[in-house]
Amino acid sequence: MTDATVAARAAPRKPVSVAGLAALGGLGVALVVVGPYVFDTYLLNILIKAFFFAIAAITVDVLWGYTGYLTFGQSAFFGVGAYAAGLIFTHYGFSPATVAAAVGAAIACTGLLAALVGWLSFYRGASPFFATVISLVVPIVLSQLLLSGGEWTGSSSGLTGYETFDWSLEAWFWVSGGALLAVGTVAWLAMRSDGGRVLTAIRDNESRCEYLGIRVSRVKIMLLIAMGIVAGLAGFGYGAFSGVVAPELSGFVLGTELIIWVALGGRGTLWGPLIGAVLINVASAYLSGSMPFAWQLILGSAFVAVIVLLPQGLIPLLLRPFGFGRRTATAPALTERALPPVDTADTSPALVMQDVTRRFGSLHVLQGISFSARAGELVGLIGPNGAGKTTLMRCMSDGADRTSGTVALCGNDIGRLSPQACVRFGLGRKFQNANVFESLTVGESLRIAGTLLERPSLWRRSQVLALPAYALDVVRTTGLDYKLDAVARDLSHGEQQALELAMVLALAPRIVLLDEPTAGLSKHERTQIGEILSALAHRYGLCCLLVEHDLDFVEQIATRIVVLHQGKLVMEGSFQDVVNSELVRNIYAGTAQPVPDAHDGVQSDAAFQQSNTSTVPKEDSPRSTISKEPT
Amino acid sequence: MNPLFSSFRLSALAAASLLAVSVQAAEPIKIGVPVGLSGANSVVAPAVVQSSQLAVDEINAAGGILGRQVQLEIADDGSGAVGAQKAFDTLVFQKKVDAVIGMETSAARSAALPIVARGKTPYIYTSFYEGRSCSKWMYVNGWVPEQQVAPVVDYFTKEKKAKTFFLIGSDYSFGRGMLSFTKKYIEQTGGKVVGEEYLPMDGSDWTAIVSKIRSANPDALISSTAGGAPNVSLAKQLQGAGLKQPYGNLAIDEGTAKTMGAVATGMYLSASYLTSIDTPENKRFIEAMTKKFGNDLKTPNELSEPQYEAFFLYKAAVEKAGTTESEKVIAALAEVSFKGPRGVVQMNKSRHAALAMQLGEVQADGSIKILQTFPSVDPGPQCPNIK
Amino acid sequence: MALLLDVLTTAAMLFIVTAGLMMIFGVMKIVNFAHGALLTMGGYVSYVVTHLKLDPWLSWPLAFVCGMVAGLIIEYLVVRPLYKRPLDAILATWGLGIIIGQLIVIAFGREVQFTDTPLDGMWTLAGTGYSAYRLLLIPVAVVLCGVLTALLNGTRFGVNTRAVIMNEKLASGLGINAGRIRFITFSLGAGLGTLAGTLVSPLSSVDPNMGVGWLVSAFMLVMVSGHSMVSLMATCLVFGAAQVLVSIYFSPVLGGLTIAVLAALTLRIRPKGFAHD
Repeated sequence: MTDATVAARAAPRKPVSVAGLAALGGLGVALVVVGPYVFDTYLLNILIKAFFFAIAAITVDVLWGYTGYLTFGQSAFFGVGAYAAGLIFTHYGFSPATVAAAVGAAIACTGLLAALVGWLSFYRGASPFFATVISLVVPIVLSQLLLSGGEWTGSSSGLTGYETFDWSLEAWFWVSGGALLAVGTVAWLAMRSDGGRVLTAIRDNESRCEYLGIRVSRVKIMLLIAMGIVAGLAGFGYGAFSGVVAPELSGFVLGTELIIWVALGGRGTLWGPLIGAVLINVASAYLSGSMPFAWQLILGSAFVAVIVLLPQGLIPLLLRPFGFGRRTATAPALTERALPPVDTADTSPALVMQDVTRRFGSLHVLQGISFSARAGELVGLIGPNGAGKTTLMRCMSDGADRTSGTVALCGNDIGRLSPQACVRFGLGRKFQNANVFESLTVGESLRIAGTLLERPSLWRRSQVLALPAYALDVVRTTGLDYKLDAVARDLSHGEQQALELAMVLALAPRIVLLDEPTAGLSKHERTQIGEILSALAHRYGLCCLLVEHDLDFVEQIATRIVVLHQGKLVMEGSFQDVVNSELVRNIYAGTAQPVPDAHDGVQSDAAFQQSNTSTVPKEDSPRSTISKEPT
Repeated sequence: MNPLFSSFRLSALAAASLLAVSVQAAEPIKIGVPVGLSGANSVVAPAVVQSSQLAVDEINAAGGILGRQVQLEIADDGSGAVGAQKAFDTLVFQKKVDAVIGMETSAARSAALPIVARGKTPYIYTSFYEGRSCSKWMYVNGWVPEQQVAPVVDYFTKEKKAKTFFLIGSDYSFGRGMLSFTKKYIEQTGGKVVGEEYLPMDGSDWTAIVSKIRSANPDALISSTAGGAPNVSLAKQLQGAGLKQPYGNLAIDEGTAKTMGAVATGMYLSASYLTSIDTPENKRFIEAMTKKFGNDLKTPNELSEPQYEAFFLYKAAVEKAGTTESEKVIAALAEVSFKGPRGVVQMNKSRHAALAMQLGEVQADGSIKILQTFPSVDPGPQCPNIK
Repeated sequence: MALLLDVLTTAAMLFIVTAGLMMIFGVMKIVNFAHGALLTMGGYVSYVVTHLKLDPWLSWPLAFVCGMVAGLIIEYLVVRPLYKRPLDAILATWGLGIIIGQLIVIAFGREVQFTDTPLDGMWTLAGTGYSAYRLLLIPVAVVLCGVLTALLNGTRFGVNTRAVIMNEKLASGLGINAGRIRFITFSLGAGLGTLAGTLVSPLSSVDPNMGVGWLVSAFMLVMVSGHSMVSLMATCLVFGAAQVLVSIYFSPVLGGLTIAVLAALTLRIRPKGFAHD
C-alpha cells in the first residue's frame, strides 16, 4: 500500500448525507412554522392527524428497520394512548388533574403492555416468527377487549364528544408538528449514535451479540417499552385532538398500515417513514373520496412491489440523486485500552469442567468430561470429526447446553446461565464461520464488541476507539486498521475471521475459545494468527482453548493437547506424547475400539494398549494418517 | 342486474347530475349525504342513495331551492365512528356543504356531531335510533324507542301471551339504548327479561347466543342490531337453529326483509314507513322511484324514505328563512312541515317528529301485512335542553 | 348435545379454513397472508353462483379451480423471489391480499352480500334439531383430512413433498424438483383456501373483508399444530372447543379471542407446539 493510498484512506469521507438531511430538516421546520398560514382548514386537520400517525410510524421503523423485529402491534400502543385520553376525559371530565392523570395512564399502561409483550416475545431461544405472531395477536386482543367493554369503552361506537384541549387548529398543528420533529430528531440522533448501532448488530446477528455479553432480550424489551410509550403518547395526542376514539385506532388494520408506510417510505432510514406516512395519509384523505378503489389498489401494488423488488423503499430511491442514503462512514482513531493488571499470583485454573455430559435423547455426545485449564495455557483440542469438540465448546459457553456436570469459569459456576453471563465471567468465543455483523463497519463492530467494558453512548458518535493491547495487535497485524470504515460484508473471508477474533479480544476475556481459527485461511494468514494466539497465551496470560485439525499449526503454538474421541477425553499431554501415541493413531485410523466408561475420562497410553490388541503397522505414522483428514 | 356495473352506474348518475347542475348559472346548494357504503349499513345504503337522488331530481325539476339547483355530495362513512369522522371532515371542511342530510349508524352520528358543531352546519338525521341525542345543529325525523317499542311488546304480551323475553343486540349505543328502553318497558308491563346478549357491530357469528336462547327457552325474542348485515346473519342463524318463538325485530327495514326472503317470514316489526301504506303521496312516491330506477330499484324502506322527506323539509326551511345561513335555517326547521308518504311530518317535538307507527308482520311473499296502526305517536321529551 | 355439535362444527370450520394455509406453511415455511383474500374470493365465487342462479353445489369445484389459478400466479410472481426472506414473504402476501380485496371491491362493490345455502333445513340428531348445512361441514372436514393425509403419505407426490419439507437441499440433490413441488403445493393450498371461503359463506355473509377475521385464527392454529393434517385436526378440535365454551360461558367477544391467546401461550411454553419430534 502506497503512502498516498494510506493517507487517502485515513481521511474521513465527506459527509454528503448530513448536509442533505440538514436541508430536509430545515424544510420540515419551515413547513411546521409556516403551515397554518398557508394550508386551509381541511388540510391542517389532515396533517395534524398524519403527524401523530407518523410518530407511530417512526417507532415501527426503529423496531423493524433498525432492530429487525417485524411488528404489527404498535397500533395497540397507539390505541391505548388514545383511549387513555378518551376514557378519562369522558368519565372524569377535563381539568389539569385529569389531563395529568390521562398522560400518566397513557405512559403507565403502554409501558406495562410493552413489558408484557416483550417478556412474551423476546425470551431466550424465541424465533423472530414467534415475536411477529405475538405482535399480531396483541392489537387483536386489545380491540376485542375494547369491543367487549360495553358502555364504559363505548364498544363499537367508541367514545365521542368528550371535552378536550380548547386549542385552535393552528396551535394543534404546531404542537403535533413540533412533536413529530422532536421525535424524529431524537430518534435520528439515537440511531446514528454508537448505542444505536447495537440495534443493527442485534438485527444482523443476535447470537454474536449474546456472545459479546450483550443482554439481547433486555435491550429489546427496553426498546419496546420506549417505543410503546412514544406510540402511546402519539395516540394520546390523536385522541385529544380528534375527539373520537374507536376500536379501529388500536386494531391490526392500523398496525399493518404502519408497516406499509414504513416499507414504502424506506425501512431503516427514519426520515423515509416520516415523509412516507405524512404523504400517504394526505393523499389518502384526498384520493379515497374521488377514487377509493384505485387508490387502495395503487397502495397495495406499490407495497408488494417494494417488498419484492425494492426492499430499501421508494422514498430513498427518489431522493438518491440528492445524495441521500449514503451512510457517512468514519474511521475512528485507535488507542489502547488499559486493562487491570493480571494477578499472576493467582494460579487457580481459569476453566474447570467436572463430569460434563451431553445427551440428545439416547445419543451420548459427551460423557464424563473433566479437565481444567490455566491462564497462560494454550490448549489444543483435537479429535476426529464427530468426536464432540464443538459440543464441548458450547457446553463451556452456555449454561443451558449440557445435560449434567459442572463448569466453572474463573472460579464462577456457570450453572444454567446464558451465554451473556458466561461472557461476563470472562469467556470469549470465536465461532468456526466468520460470525460478524454484516452491515456494520469494522470500527463499529469493534466498538460494539467492547460494550461490556465501555457502554456506547446513546447520542454521541465517539471518534476514538479503545481496544486492549492484544486486540490492537490483531487489528494492526492483519491490516484491519486501514479498513476501519469498511463494511464487514465487503471484507475477504480471512479479514472477516480476523475481525471476529479482534471482536472477541476486544472483550478483554480471560478465557478464549477458538473453533477452527485457521479454517479457510491462506498460509500467510495462518502464520499471522499463530503468532497472535501464541502471544495471547504467553505474553498476555490468557487461557486459550483451540479446536483444530491442522496439526502443524497446533504443534507450533499449543502448550498442551487434549484428545477427544466419541465424547470422551481419552488423552492429555504434550504434542509429542499425543502424536506418537498408539491410541491416537488408532483413533484417527478408525481402528480403535470403543473406549470403556472410565470415571475420569482420561486413560494412559499403556493402559489402553493393554486392553486392545491392534495390529496397526508402526511405520504408518499417525501424523500422515491424521493429515489425510479433510481440513 | 349485473352487480359489476352498479357502482359504475352510481358514479355515472352522480356525474350526470353534477353535469346537469353545472349548466345552471347560479351557485348550487350543496347537500352532503354521508352513508354507510361499506360496513354493516352497506346493505341499506343503496336505497338511501336512491331516495336522495329522487328528492334532488324532483326539487331541481321544480326550480331548485330559492332558484338555486341542489347538488348532492355523497361520502362513505364506513358505518362507524372513524369513517364518519373522515366523511364529515370531507363534507364540512373540504366540500363546504350547506347542509348534511344523513342516514347513519349511531356510532357514525356520535362522531359526526362535534364536526357539525365546529363547522356550524345544519344536520338532519334521518335514521331511527335509540333517542336522546341532542345538538344545537341537529334535527331528527326518524323514530325513537318511545314511538316504536310499545306496539311490538304490547302485541306479544296481549296477543301472543308472552311472559318471558330474550333480548339480542349489537354492542353499541343503538343496540344498548334500544334494549335498555325495551327492558324497562317489558318490566313495566309485567313481563320478564330472561336473557340479554350483545355482539360487536361487525360480528356475524351468533352461535353462542343462539345456544343461550335455546337453553333459556323464552316466550318471545326481540332484537335490535345494526341495520343491514347483522340482521340477516342473526335471522339466518336463528332459523337454522329451528327457534320458533315470535320474533320482533326492532331494527329491520322492509328492504332488508325482502332480501332475506323466506328467512324473514313471520318476523314482527314496527315502522313508520311501509310500502303498503295506502295514501296518494306514497303511491306517487313509489311510482316515481320505479320510473327513475326501474329494475335497479331498492325497496323504499324505513331507512330510506325519511331521507327523501328530509330534503323537502330542508327546502321548506330555507325558503321560510329566505337564506341558507345556518342559524336561520336551524330556527326555521322546527316550523316547517312536509306531507309525504308517511303523512304530515314536522320536527317540532324537541327536535324530533311525531309519527304514525304501523305494526307489521312479514309475509311469505316479502310484503308486510299491517296489523295495527297508531296515529301521531309522540316521541317524548328527547332534548329538553335544546330550544 | 347442541353444545357438542357446536364444538364439532366449529372445529370442522376451523379445519377447513386452515388446511390450505397448513399445506403451504408445512412445505414452504412461508405463511401465506393472502389466504384471507383467497377465502374472500371463495365467498364471492359463491355469490356469483347465487347471482347467476346456478346450482349452489357448483360453487365448490369452481372455487377450487379459481383458487388454484390464483395460487399459480401468486407463487410465480410474488412468493418465488422471497423464499429466502420469510418475514418479507408475510408482508408481500399481505399486500397481495389487499390487492385482491380491492379487485373484488371494484368488481362487486363494497356491500355485504348473501349467498344461497346448498343445503337448507335442519337435521335431527339425538332429539336436537341442528342446521343441516353446519352438520354437513363435519364430514366434509373429515374427508378433506383423509384425502390430504392420503395424498401426503400415500402418493409419490406426497413422499416427494415430505422429502422437501424435511431437507430441501438433500431432496434436490436426489433429483426431486423442489421448485415444482413448491409450485404445486402452493396452488393446492390456495385452491383449498378458496374452497374454504365458499364453504363457510352460506353461514353468515360475504363482504370484501370477510377473510381477514379467519386469517389470524388460521395463522395461529398453523403455528401451534405440527406438520400433519391429523395433528391440525386435533388442534382445531381442542381450540375450537375452547372458543365455543368461552363464547357461551363468558362472552362471544372473548370467545373470538380464545384461539389467538391460547395459541400464543402454547407457543411460549412449548415452542414446537403440538408437533412431537
